[in-house]
Amino acid sequence: MPLDKNVKNVLVIGSGPVVIGQAAEFDYSGSQACLALREEGIRSVLLNPNPASIQTDREVADRVYLEPVIPEMIEEIIQRESVDSILASVGGQTALNSVMLLEKSGKLEKLGVRILGTSAASIEAAEDRKLFHDLMNSIGEPVAASATLAERDYLIKVGEVDFFPVIVRSSFSLGGLGGGIVDNGGALVQICEEFFAGHPGATMEIEKSLTGLIELEYEIIRDPSDSCISVCNMENVDPMGIHTGESIVVTPAQTLSDREHNTLRDAAFRIVRAIGIVGACNIQFALDRKSGQYYVVEVNPRTSRSSALASKASGFPIARFSTKIAVGYALSEIMNPVTRNTYAAFEPSMDYVTVKIPRWPFDKFQVDRSIGVQMKSIGEVMGIGRTLEEALMKAIASLDNEISASIRLDVTGQNLIELLSKPSDLRIRAVFEALFRGHETSEISALTGYEKYFIEKFANIVKEANQITIGQIPENLASLKKLGISDRIISKMSGIPELEITRHRISSGLLPSFRTIDTCAGEFKSETPYFYSTYEEQGDYLQPDERKKVLVIGSGPNRIAQGIEFDYCSVKAVRALRKSGYSAMMINSNPETVSTDFDVSDRLFFEPVTLEHVSNVIAMEKPVGVLVQFSGQTGQNLSWGISDLFGESMILGTSPSQIMRVEDRSQFSASLDRLGFRQPDYTSVYNLEDATHKVDSVGLPAIVRSSFVIGGRSMDIIYDRKNLLRRVQDIFSANPRNPAIISRYLENAMELDVDFVSDASKVAICGTMEHIEEAGTHSGDATMVLPASLNHGATEQLRAIVESLAREFKIVGVANLQVAFRDGTFYIIELNARASRTIPIVSKATRTDWISVAVGLITGTTNLSGFADGTPNGVYVKVPVFPFERFSDLDILLGPEMRSTGEGVGSGESRVEALKKAFLITNKRSERPVSVLITVHDMYKESMLPIARFLDQSRILLLATPGTHDFLAKFGIQSTKVYKLEDMREPTISSAISNGNVSVVVNLPGSSPGLRDGFQIRRLALSRGIPLYTNLKLADTFFRSVLSSVAIRPREILDRLQIANS
Amino acid sequence: MTGYVEILTDPSYRGQIMVFSSPTIANYPWIQEAMESGTIQVSGAITRDSHSLLSGGSSLDSVLSEYQIPGIDLVDTRTLILKIREKGVMKGFISDSDEVPGEFPDPMLRDLVSEVAGNQIMTLESGKDLECLVLDTGAKKSLMRRLSTVANLTIVPFDKFPHSRLNEFDFVFLPNGPGDPSHESLRALRGSISDVLGTKPVIGVCLGHQIISLAAGCSTYKMKYGHRGGNHSVTDGTKTWMTAHNHGYAVSRDSMRGTIMQEKQWDINDSTVEMIGNPDMGILTTQYHPEGAPGPHDMDGFFDTIGTLVRNFNASR
Repeated sequence: MPLDKNVKNVLVIGSGPVVIGQAAEFDYSGSQACLALREEGIRSVLLNPNPASIQTDREVADRVYLEPVIPEMIEEIIQRESVDSILASVGGQTALNSVMLLEKSGKLEKLGVRILGTSAASIEAAEDRKLFHDLMNSIGEPVAASATLAERDYLIKVGEVDFFPVIVRSSFSLGGLGGGIVDNGGALVQICEEFFAGHPGATMEIEKSLTGLIELEYEIIRDPSDSCISVCNMENVDPMGIHTGESIVVTPAQTLSDREHNTLRDAAFRIVRAIGIVGACNIQFALDRKSGQYYVVEVNPRTSRSSALASKASGFPIARFSTKIAVGYALSEIMNPVTRNTYAAFEPSMDYVTVKIPRWPFDKFQVDRSIGVQMKSIGEVMGIGRTLEEALMKAIASLDNEISASIRLDVTGQNLIELLSKPSDLRIRAVFEALFRGHETSEISALTGYEKYFIEKFANIVKEANQITIGQIPENLASLKKLGISDRIISKMSGIPELEITRHRISSGLLPSFRTIDTCAGEFKSETPYFYSTYEEQGDYLQPDERKKVLVIGSGPNRIAQGIEFDYCSVKAVRALRKSGYSAMMINSNPETVSTDFDVSDRLFFEPVTLEHVSNVIAMEKPVGVLVQFSGQTGQNLSWGISDLFGESMILGTSPSQIMRVEDRSQFSASLDRLGFRQPDYTSVYNLEDATHKVDSVGLPAIVRSSFVIGGRSMDIIYDRKNLLRRVQDIFSANPRNPAIISRYLENAMELDVDFVSDASKVAICGTMEHIEEAGTHSGDATMVLPASLNHGATEQLRAIVESLAREFKIVGVANLQVAFRDGTFYIIELNARASRTIPIVSKATRTDWISVAVGLITGTTNLSGFADGTPNGVYVKVPVFPFERFSDLDILLGPEMRSTGEGVGSGESRVEALKKAFLITNKRSERPVSVLITVHDMYKESMLPIARFLDQSRILLLATPGTHDFLAKFGIQSTKVYKLEDMREPTISSAISNGNVSVVVNLPGSSPGLRDGFQIRRLALSRGIPLYTNLKLADTFFRSVLSSVAIRPREILDRLQIANS
Repeated sequence: MTGYVEILTDPSYRGQIMVFSSPTIANYPWIQEAMESGTIQVSGAITRDSHSLLSGGSSLDSVLSEYQIPGIDLVDTRTLILKIREKGVMKGFISDSDEVPGEFPDPMLRDLVSEVAGNQIMTLESGKDLECLVLDTGAKKSLMRRLSTVANLTIVPFDKFPHSRLNEFDFVFLPNGPGDPSHESLRALRGSISDVLGTKPVIGVCLGHQIISLAAGCSTYKMKYGHRGGNHSVTDGTKTWMTAHNHGYAVSRDSMRGTIMQEKQWDINDSTVEMIGNPDMGILTTQYHPEGAPGPHDMDGFFDTIGTLVRNFNASR
């Protein structure tokens, strides 16, 4: 099956902004796809509005469109780029759905574009649950009983259901959104009512719940010759009922017998053949071990989170192979790039175990921590070890949250039992705690539904950890290390400082060896330097590398405030190092990302990004230095430990002592005073009483934080005294030794984010982004515009500040400055001596690889003389996307804590065009609004008036709550009165929203504690997918852009270069 | 990863020390029905993390003890395997003393087939309309079970070839077994097969494939470290399949030239001959185990092919 020569220009659709259920894994698979196409001489045209991704880099794709994924845009790009084929399988559900939409409308046929790989009919057979169940029944594959409900017949059909409890799903689900287990007809009818009110034309599927059975996944590839392979199987430690994205997943499956395994594998092959998969797919099975019966749960006819995990776990690059297959190749014609000695027609064998654990945002969101059929996690980590214990403990270390420091839980016996039986993020710790307290493994197995085998592995860890005694370095240190127990946990349990344990280990030679992931368990010679550490006597032979080595720290699991933008940064840093002749090594633990693609670096260490594991790599590889500034706070936090162990010179770029001066708020503020820069008024307080006295000298609203926080807890902007004192109290309980800083928050000031590079004397400004929202919104949640609307004088003034700070703190590399601008004065809010979240978008907007420039400055190969500041190529608007629909108990009001999971970018020749595209990404709808519901607290009514007037003039129908209505009437603006629930009068807000009479909601509640009075309204808008604005400036910007007549056009990222030059 | 019960009891592994590349072994309990013979056939087992040893319970450790087979756990098996890959299969011994014997006997010189083969005639009636003569060189139970769905089996000891009864059978089947196919102990069998070739369909698997090839005038050779495990891809030039392998010897392709043996499939990575066929001569042999156990069933169609081949061949006579 040779290459299909008719394929010349392929449109690759990316998954867009990172959301829960669609994260960095599609940056990885999309990047692999583009590179695989390039190898074949096929031009890739990438559509993805996610600026933080690596794949939207011209180094990866041949043509890049950072544009909203909407049918009109896709059509126009297809025509502009003479696209002949479309690859829908590497951009998650987003890409698949949009391609299916185009296919069904007949547009693809009209444009002469064909879908590569799995056909549209096959995709539908896998995705549409009814078709899928029929197909499975026809080939005799067991599926759980199910029924499809529509608006017209659900009442009758629900009555006929005899297979409760059921799982509820809507067609074309996304990460289990809306899924829930229902155990009676009454509850089901209620869900139907709500669902069909919002989605009248849609259908809903119900299915017999298989909760409690063993959940297994198979990653299957089928090629055009009908050859199939099972790349690897995965066993979910959490039984059915927990979304696989929420489960602890072990690769390869550990408890299957050969008969069980091959029964499922055979079934998987029958299924992919019946569906007609060409390329990769993921099949989920539920296995009832007692009866031997299995059920087919789901088939994903595309690359997925699981395929990314399977790729990293097995070393088999699934997206790459599936792309080669999509353009015509058979597995037997594709070389295995890991061994370079064998073919892709092979099933990897693993001589190690991997454990994946999800990373939940519960450290940021105060929400219900229970987990279930709906995904709540935002990222994941993978631990690799020779034993399950080692892999598990390395995954735990990688999580970089509470459990990484302590596997024990301080709870009552009753609570512990509850935590074991009720799934939540705390269950792993509960299992450990129960074992520490002497519970039997079989009891824990029964409570958790985990196979006893796994509990016994937990028990092996506890047994060894129990021998740790307080106050001394454990005598069984070697045994503890063999089980993967981190220095940090040993430190916690022994009371010996972590650094002391690490130092003792290194000096006594208790270091791990490094093993290769070779896809074949040593059977063939492998050339790929993909490593993990393990405590065995011997390691694999590492080819000596004569070049100077530099270790780049990766950013670990995706989490709120640390997403794929830092993967972009670390990957770009690796590329820059390799280009300038260094041997670039990467350490990271995130299986989703591009950085953990073994093709990216000269050596990949798939390891926890912790001081322990970083120092193990340093001790073995002896690099000339380590780059910490490209991986967010994770890298920066390691800098002091690394310099303690290996000397300050081990950290390349801005030195750890300077980073300390920047991070320590007291030192930083003192420096600013000395330099004569303005900063918001502030005061240091040393205890709660001190705070009560001093708070008034600063005034409200205020920002409260510890003077020194490792981990950079974001600024809290607080509007009332009570909350302020509570926050101060929190800070003292967390960091009793450091003073807390209370500083005045500037209202009505323009906020700016400045990214710059520096060699400690000169600087180049990469870009300055202006926040649209005023005070109170976290910079990660703000909508930002590049370029900022500063005049020449202000720009020069800002530049001088940047230059002066760069010199003061001897910034070498890249850094980010946050300032507020009011009445001609800049106030310095924060300096980060590291790459920021905005650098990828700035790099793309200014067509300059700023990470590469920063690396050049760090290694001394780049000179800043004559280096111009960045000039954006048009206007760029960064918009955040939020996970509110995942957390029914999370309020939508934006505040000082970051909530967004990812971002999109809109770009254009004008602000309006860029904004229009940006809002298209977040709102996912392009039609002009017809009616707007306005309900604002008295304190905002004046400032809301211009918006209402503008909407009125634009002939938009206004709906308003009585107070707002009366206020508008005073100014001659007509509106339809709608009532709040408590008014007990019709029409209510909810009936207006439910009846589809509202296109947009503007809701601004008063300050706390009445803050939640619009909670219902906001949730309702959200559940109907109605755009909701809780910030007036943003609302104003939104309406003025979407109602303008400016057209939006797709542009390739380098297109405008020509426009700008001409 | 899976299938440790089948592997340890597979007669083809007779005389060998098994090093498991999968580090976690025996995670599920010993399954009596999964045994491929009546006993553990390997001479020793080396594991990285045998579940029974670390966690208690009655799995691998106690089973090995029951059969008086030595095992070592917590061994850095990957290092051992890399050594075997570089140096080839090597002789070894397991002992609880520090003394190293002066000489390691080569198990391949032993009459291994006699150690594992049955010594009585057995029948496996399945009500099929085909009669099959199996020469038992140490057949796996699962292979016999699967074959019996194609034909009624009469299983006779490999050294008691029933020349006089040959007419009772529609075809002859040579299964797997341990050791060197050119071993002296198999001389008579090779001779008998040589006589039968062309007159009756002869089907073979693994050792059977090698013996038939030798009988047809081909030669075999000892591989550096052989093919083991369930993930070897074979191809016919168009499609590829995953197959279960356990062979340290292979048929020399060069030696097939000019014989009735025609290559049908080969290993995709090292091009070892994996399937030989000649429908006109009634020959079909595979180097791999189409029955899996442990391993994939991708080539399960082999068994259906047997029926077709036998019927066609016999009809044409």
